[in-house]
Amino acid sequence: MIHQDILDFLRKTSVFKGLSDDLLRTLTESAMPRILAAGETLIKKGEVGNSLFIISQGWVKIVTEDSKGDELILNKCGAGEVIGEMSLFDSGLRSASVIALEAAQVLEISRAIFMDVLDKNPEVGFAIILSYSDRLRHNTTYIEKAIDWSQKTAAGDYSFIEATQPLSVGAGASDDKATELLSAFFTMVRKVKEREDGLKKQLEQLTFEIDQTRRKQDFEEITSTEFYANLKEQARTLRQKRNQS
Amino acid sequence: MSKGKIVSIHSFRGGTGKSNTTANLAAQVALTGKRVGVVDTDIQSPGIHVLFGLDETKMGKTLNDFLHDKASIREVGFQVGENTGDAEGRAKLAGKNLWLFPSSIRGREISQILKEGIDFNRLNEGLQSTITEFDLDYLFIDTHPGLNEETLLSIATSDILIIILRPDNQDIQGTSVTVDIARSLDVPNLLLMVNKALPKYDFQTIKNDIESKFNAPVAGILPLSFDLADNASQDLFSLKYPDHAWSTALRGVASAILALE
Ligand SMILES: Nc1ncnc2c1ncn2[C@@H]1O[C@H](COP(=O)(O)OP(=O)(O)OP(=O)(O)O)[C@@H](O)[C@H]1O
Ligand SMILES: [Mg+2]
Repeated sequence: MIHQDILDFLRKTSVFKGLSDDLLRTLTESAMPRILAAGETLIKKGEVGNSLFIISQGWVKIVTEDSKGDELILNKCGAGEVIGEMSLFDSGLRSASVIALEAAQVLEISRAIFMDVLDKNPEVGFAIILSYSDRLRHNTTYIEKAIDWSQKTAAGDYSFIEATQPLSVGAGASDDKATELLSAFFTMVRKVKEREDGLKKQLEQLTFEIDQTRRKQDFEEITSTEFYANLKEQARTLRQKRNQS
Repeated sequence: MSKGKIVSIHSFRGGTGKSNTTANLAAQVALTGKRVGVVDTDIQSPGIHVLFGLDETKMGKTLNDFLHDKASIREVGFQVGENTGDAEGRAKLAGKNLWLFPSSIRGREISQILKEGIDFNRLNEGLQSTITEFDLDYLFIDTHPGLNEETLLSIATSDILIIILRPDNQDIQGTSVTVDIARSLDVPNLLLMVNKALPKYDFQTIKNDIESKFNAPVAGILPLSFDLADNASQDLFSLKYPDHAWSTALRGVASAILALE
């Protein structure tokens, strides 16, 4: 595995995407290669996470258990994918287990290595903050959009669907959850609208007829009385009075 | 110009939901803090008092007494906000400024007034002084169906006329005559309201069709509902069940009234 590949893998992660090639190289050079046998467990669910792994070769599965305790495969990852990037900062518990599906190779960057690199190159920290604030701003924009769309959908206004057509919908292994959420939301609204349109079509149409001759006759019968003539006069006076006072 | 507006609720045929609509509209408008009156001019077959929890035992002076010069309009006003009883919907009106001016439900008094006829100047005077004496923002008038004389009077004096119709050819036919009358009497604002619409129909088509036929806005299409029939005019439905489709549509009509200047 040549380092340039690993550099490219790291560049795709949200943590490292703002780093210069030099810094990325420093980081990869300090990474520890590990070889996994088929079936070997790399990460155990529930353990404290202290490292990030870059898969350089082979396939692994991300698994958890279903309610009966049977294995449930959440995902499969292959060369180039990065697992557990957040554990460099937060030493949270692993939310799933990772098991090699075949003989595989990973590069491990432990928090200790990462902190070491950070000590010697403080600008790494700044680059990471930048990339996170960038991501945060991007997410906020998307959340605002989702709120706006929810309100419109609730009000039955689906016009944004037409206006937003170019947005890439679904597909693509994006690590950008905000974009994914918005795509899922968009798909949902489109489906809802389709169902609603379908329902509308099922509604029966009802229209009416007016017999204009009878309408005229009835009107004349009522308005030809003396009572009506007086009333009309009184109403006019009354309205004039109310408008003046 | 005096600020109080007269809002007449009318329908060409009976049983369209005038009394339920009038009572609920008045209640919704009163909830917004406006000062509101409701007059029952359906002297032949009064009904709206039931919705406000008034029965024979509690009924004091009536519109009939006023018309016979036996009571002032002050004495006829029944303060709903202070007499909500224990009905869940009405209870929300506690403390609001809402008065009912009921028609007598005593058989003898009804036949007397029908025999003698109504003094229109007196009725008219009554409506105007109700607004000034109670300092009302809105005076709602519940009417007898059809185009009899007291109904014509209430149309003639109204600032806003709401014609209720069911989605039915006979109602449409009758409404067409009422619309012509309202225009001939220069009623400044005309709103149509459809009630008892079967949910299986497309309400938008109904609205478009009626609006184009009468060249007047349809302020709301209210569904036919077992729940409302089941309420049997015992309580103010839109207050008791604010999230019901009927109530939502009714509030739309109330907003349309409030929006008129
Ligand atoms: N949307 C509706 N769905 C079902 N029932 C309704 C609806 N609107 C009104 N009703 C019922 O229809 C009946 C007549 O209503 P209401 O007394 O309000 O009509 P009205 O026009 O005042 O009648 P009238 O012409 O006799 O004065 C009542 O039993 C009421 O509960
Ligand atoms: Mg009635």
